[in-house]
Amino acid sequence: MLLFWSEEHVSKWCRDWNLPRGEVLALDTCWLLARAWFNADRREPSWRRRTVDEAEALFAELGLTSPFWRLTR
Amino acid sequence: MDADPEKISLDARVRRHVYDQVIGEGLPPTIAETARALARTTDEVKLSFRRLADAHILVLQKEGEEILMAAPFSAVPTPFPVTVGERRYYANCIWDALGIPSMLKQDAVIDASCGCCGTAMRLEVGGGGGGGGSLLAQDMGGRAHFAVPAARWWDDIVFS
Repeated sequence: MLLFWSEEHVSKWCRDWNLPRGEVLALDTCWLLARAWFNADRREPSWRRRTVDEAEALFAELGLTSPFWRLTR
Repeated sequence: MDADPEKISLDARVRRHVYDQVIGEGLPPTIAETARALARTTDEVKLSFRRLADAHILVLQKEGEEILMAAPFSAVPTPFPVTVGERRYYANCIWDALGIPSMLKQDAVIDASCGCCGTAMRLEVGGGGGGGGSLLAQDMGGRAHFAVPAARWWDDIVFS
């Protein structure tokens, strides 16, 4: 997951590296995703990874509902 | 994850030690350091690292058994340096870079750059970083590109 100056820079990078374009998030959305995803303290004994359903529900809360964000194949 | 309670208990202690070290020192511990700290053998720690990697909690170096990633932290320098107070961390990607102040619940400065052209892009997180934190207004648009669909992230997490 790389950072780019703009949508145009994402497109140029994909062309230059001959890679398909994935999903592009505004930084505000990426921040909300990071804040929710990493909110828990991983040092705590009770910490555990999210289940697939929990992770997909979090994506959905942020409007990330396209097939790209599905964790099951 | 192995269902053996002893291994589960050890893995929780190893996970705690790894994150204590990376948060406190900026880098995750080695196998030898972890073994000394927890009074276990290096073989026990290697196996624990492997179980934590199989559970997608750690990522190990491909040419060895040491830690490469303890998300959101990287064990090696990356293009995503994150400064929190006087401590410098490295994140694995832009998502993880924003995840460090989220996890630490502290303000942070991320001195990143455009993945296409290298133009400097400094991001600042304020408000204490955690649930009340905010990404401060930027003078550029800025976009995060997720190149790999979510279901395939762990096919090659280093590339993802």
